[in-house]
Amino acid sequence: MLHYVTINIDGADIKAPKGSSVLEVAIEYGICIPHLCHVPGLSDIGACRLCIVENVTNGRAAVTTSCTLKVQEGMTIRSNTDRIKRLRHNIAELLVAQAPNSRAIQDIAVRCGVKKVRYPFRNDNCVLCGRCVRACAELWHANALGFVGRGKERHVERPLNMREEFCKGCDYCIQLCPMTITPCDGPMKTGEEYLCGKCESQLMITEEVPDSCAWCRLGEGFNCGRYAGLKAVR
Amino acid sequence: MPRLNTKEDLEIMGKQLLFDRGKVNKTLIICGGTGCKASRSQEVIDAINQELLMQEMDSEVHLRVTGCHGFCEQGPIAVIEPGNIFYCHITADDARDIVTKTLKNGEVIDRLLYTDPVSGKKIRTESEIPFYQAQDRQLLFQNREVNPRSIEDYIAIGGFSALAKAIDSLAPEEIIRSIKTSGLRGRGGGGFATGRKWDECREAPSDEKYVICNADEGDPGAYMDRCLLEGNPYLVLEGMLIGAYAVGATKGYIYVRNEYPLAVKHARNAVQQARKLGILGEDILGSSFSCDVEVARGGGAFVCGESTALMASLEGKVGEPRPKDVHTVVDGLWHKPTTLNNVETWANIPSIILNGANWFASKGTKGSKGTKILALTGRIKNTGLVEVAMGTTIRHIVFDIGGGATNGKAIKAVQTGGPSGGCLPIDKFDLPVDFDVLYEAGSMVGSGGMVVMDESSCMVDVAKYFLTFLQDESCGKCVPCRLGIDRMLEIVTDITEGRGTLEQLDLLEELADTVTQTALCGLGKTAANPVLSTLRYFRDEYKAHITDNKCPAGVCKALIEYSIDPEKCTGCGTCKRACIHSAISGEKKEVHVINTELCQKCGICMSECKFEAIQVS
Repeated sequence: MLHYVTINIDGADIKAPKGSSVLEVAIEYGICIPHLCHVPGLSDIGACRLCIVENVTNGRAAVTTSCTLKVQEGMTIRSNTDRIKRLRHNIAELLVAQAPNSRAIQDIAVRCGVKKVRYPFRNDNCVLCGRCVRACAELWHANALGFVGRGKERHVERPLNMREEFCKGCDYCIQLCPMTITPCDGPMKTGEEYLCGKCESQLMITEEVPDSCAWCRLGEGFNCGRYAGLKAVR
Repeated sequence: MPRLNTKEDLEIMGKQLLFDRGKVNKTLIICGGTGCKASRSQEVIDAINQELLMQEMDSEVHLRVTGCHGFCEQGPIAVIEPGNIFYCHITADDARDIVTKTLKNGEVIDRLLYTDPVSGKKIRTESEIPFYQAQDRQLLFQNREVNPRSIEDYIAIGGFSALAKAIDSLAPEEIIRSIKTSGLRGRGGGGFATGRKWDECREAPSDEKYVICNADEGDPGAYMDRCLLEGNPYLVLEGMLIGAYAVGATKGYIYVRNEYPLAVKHARNAVQQARKLGILGEDILGSSFSCDVEVARGGGAFVCGESTALMASLEGKVGEPRPKDVHTVVDGLWHKPTTLNNVETWANIPSIILNGANWFASKGTKGSKGTKILALTGRIKNTGLVEVAMGTTIRHIVFDIGGGATNGKAIKAVQTGGPSGGCLPIDKFDLPVDFDVLYEAGSMVGSGGMVVMDESSCMVDVAKYFLTFLQDESCGKCVPCRLGIDRMLEIVTDITEGRGTLEQLDLLEELADTVTQTALCGLGKTAANPVLSTLRYFRDEYKAHITDNKCPAGVCKALIEYSIDPEKCTGCGTCKRACIHSAISGEKKEVHVINTELCQKCGICMSECKFEAIQVS
């Protein structure tokens, strides 16, 4: 039997199944919190930091990622304050400056309010969200991909850079990768650091449910695409 | 060695050892700590050993090679008891004199005595030296009493009696209450209340719990944990065992970074000796309390000093932090409740148990109690490890203990707390060393590194140095830390190379704030402190780089130009010969000229010129 706790997200009291994360519950109830590294069914690592929310305890609001925050009775969460929006904007700006030609990243950035990027563009092919690594390890137990190096050197690599036979050819890594959509051919060049906002995200592998998000209707939120048919509880 | 089965066994052993030691009345203490080893103390030790054998005095004199005493600037150092005679800068050639004159005949060798830089007088005894007098050496003092390879030395000075007292007559709750009343706060950097941490760990339900000693010290310029673990590993071990007893842990780990081979060796040796004596392992000192400790070597990553990354590393995984929405005292190593404390925190425990919580709480300020070891380095006369009561002002530490600036330059700032801390300008030197006060001022006590900087340090360059360090050491998992530090470094580099704009300063500040608020772990959350604190106190220097294209300290190469003062140049030709880029020309006994197109700004000419004719502008 499922146990429920009551939490409050952005003023709405929500009955949430025990053990689920704040992000899962929020998405389930149509409160959109932008996210990149979170994929339903995979473990959450809190790497992209886009899903940050304010967790209010005793009047103090602590910023934390909602994907790793498990629901607790009486929790108060604020997902759309000015502070969170500003921080989210800055993180999305960092991400999009790193991989400006990815439609998925552009899409997230635009939805987080980034129009002009204040950093020179770089053209990286990977933003290290770790979707592929976790899918490979957790869904197929193949461990054909992993992180190598630290800091600036960090990258995704096959075991010892040579063991290709670990791969089971499931293609899941490609489907989940935010970089594999045909890149934007727009003016994403150094010196022209602005976003047109016309690219459509294809990040979500499940179908989008239209007109379901309260925040999107108000034009404030993040059109995350609710995961159709997927419950917040695994 | 027989196994100690009761508290009384330990006391008897201690008394017996003291009695045996009393037969030898002369002791020569030589520092074999890291600093003195670097100044070749091993050669001195070998020479003295040989000399003692040759003069057949090895049975009359007890030679004790100890861990760090703290006065590393003067190394190698030695103290002769009785008499408390202090010698510094000893070489192997002095061995014969020390043995024949001082040890045999009781004469004091004048040339080896310490000269006070202020009064210029020779000082005879250790206790009269101002560097030591100004300190409150609770932990460091024990280093000179103990040979770090001999558990007997530690037992002889009353070692493990706090453990015996704890197991024998104190309930775990009483110990935790005592630690809480003492007001001890974590010495590793965070300053979290140790008693509260222990309490939460004790309350957490689990069949197994762990204690961990974090000796993965990696801050540039900090080495107090190293010297404690190298100099007196037994003290740390005793603290850990008391902690394990208090929280109900049965297993402990000492996580030492691999770059500290001597600390690894001494910690391993201490664990083995303690196990043989029955102080570690099953039924400690005949009680029902069992706990074993293992020494684990770190893999050489700065980020592994972060608690969750350290635990991941101990588990054999990649040393990366994970979100701490549930604290490690509940969900730590192998998802069991774990108490992780810094070396210095553990080392403080035995004296709190022995002397009482009130004794500890009597030192320090309202929010920060006890003493703190600081690694004093930089442009000052007396560098080394200093231990002062919390609440001592920075001015007292830098000028009275540190002896003020070298080379007569004015001191500009002090960097406290390593890469997580910040730079404080000289007008903040009256601030006390206190967790809350320094945090308010934009810096932190941190692990206790203190780097003193004078006019010749460029604060933008300092920020750049720490950002480069953190960029290398960030694990790269979360976006704000990996990309945020990278972009901050990009902006600061632009500024130091003359491409900066004033808008970039605002962006830098906003980015620093974002990284601080959103990064995953402590490393990222504090990574922006060097930038934020230098921006707060030295904004003028940043502006000088941007608007005037000048580096006031003459450090940033892209913004400076070397020239020769024709008034001062004597035409000696030293600079011309020294310049490896052939950028200096001029006939003998005529004024020389630097060709700025060829000049690579290495600064060799400046250091070679005896007439201070080379100028930086």
